[in-house]
Amino acid sequence: MRSMAKETKGGKWTSDLVLDLYANLLSEVWEVVSALIGEAILELLFNLAIRKMGEKYSFLKSLKVSEEGISMGGMMDDCRNLAPAELHRGFQSLINHLLNLFSALTEGVISREVFPKVFPKVREAERLVSQK
Amino acid sequence: MRFIVKHLNILRSIINTINTSFEIREIVESAGNNLPSLFEFSALGVLWKEESTLYLYQEETCPPSFTQEVARNMVKVFSVLGEEPNDLARVTLQVEKRKLRPSHMAMDPKATLKSYLVLPLAVEEEIIGCVSLNSDQPNAFDAQDLQFFSVIGYQMAATLKHFQRFSSVKTMAIYDTLTTLYNRRYMEERLIVEAQKSFYSGSSLSLVMIDIDHFKKVNDTFGHTEGDKVLREIASLLKTSVRKKDTVARYGGEEFILILPEAGLEETTMIAERIRRLVESKLFEVGKAHINITVSLGISNFPNHHPKSKEDLVKMADRALYDAKRGGRNRVCLFCPVQR
Repeated sequence: MRSMAKETKGGKWTSDLVLDLYANLLSEVWEVVSALIGEAILELLFNLAIRKMGEKYSFLKSLKVSEEGISMGGMMDDCRNLAPAELHRGFQSLINHLLNLFSALTEGVISREVFPKVFPKVREAERLVSQK
Repeated sequence: MRFIVKHLNILRSIINTINTSFEIREIVESAGNNLPSLFEFSALGVLWKEESTLYLYQEETCPPSFTQEVARNMVKVFSVLGEEPNDLARVTLQVEKRKLRPSHMAMDPKATLKSYLVLPLAVEEEIIGCVSLNSDQPNAFDAQDLQFFSVIGYQMAATLKHFQRFSSVKTMAIYDTLTTLYNRRYMEERLIVEAQKSFYSGSSLSLVMIDIDHFKKVNDTFGHTEGDKVLREIASLLKTSVRKKDTVARYGGEEFILILPEAGLEETTMIAERIRRLVESKLFEVGKAHINITVSLGISNFPNHHPKSKEDLVKMADRALYDAKRGGRNRVCLFCPVQR
């Protein structure tokens, strides 16, 4: 499995890079949205999304959410063996589901604040996993 | 800065009114009254899962189609959160209409839902409902509105949770657990209110005291579990035999009491006689047997029997019940002053 992860020039595994990137992205989403709707509701929405998307991408279930924020916990170690593309797909579907929830609740109000942060990072993740 | 301070003051005032509310209607009403100072909206909705009820506080010119659209949307969003009810047909709608905007800004009869904010009402990770702000104007709400609205949502959730807890305590305090009728304590409180009303206004008030004949025999022969079953069946029969405004309570043991506001002697006798006949004609299944059971009933009435207090009214009904027992049971007796 380890062979599925690619090493970059700097010596860091691509899976690690994808994980770092999404860890930062989720933290940013947390920061922006919690300021709008509060930590408790956001925690609930994150848990809903993780439960739903965790059915397909079980590694997402090891994400820990509390009113303090999101913690990758042991995920970093567990997921290093997963293919970067798989990690990317899982996180991307989690983010998409969260955005859908935000849109269902508040139409564009949350999305307008979050989109500018999300898109560049997702594109960056896509670039990472597609590197030959 | 002044703008924010003003908004924070309004927010404080809304939170305070939500905090001091005693029931959900009051919460919706007080929030609805104050929210126009913070937002421009057409309808405020609170969907409470426990009651499957959607409370809508909306602009008086809201067309019915808009109301339906708001309701549909809230139920839809609630189901996106993985919560039931996900079907509008299963939700009771309680609509309050108020003037939320000046007359020249009345809503178009064909107005549709153009923007909304919906937030889950959640306490300790439990979703107990959702709250929404709705408008017929596009892009009516921005990030700051959402921030203010989420604070209101938090407070509503905490207060509703408090109601939920309080309601189970209240249920225990006023209901008889075996029969689910009101208990004696509640009956006495109710009687104070009804007696005050009647004694003050001169309107009629009747009491019917009911006792199951030879109930001890049922318990001794078939056991207490079967006896309890009989009590429950008679309780349910009593509930369905009275008017909406009447109070049916378990007075103790195998005794029940009815408070019948604005019921004269004739009407009360009719109700009591109907109950007697219903019980008499019913076959009660106890254990493997089917048995007949009868009840005796005593009636007292204000002003006919001239009670001076609610205690007098109870004593008179009790005396009439005693007469019914002494007269051979399975009968209705009116209080008779001569025999006192």
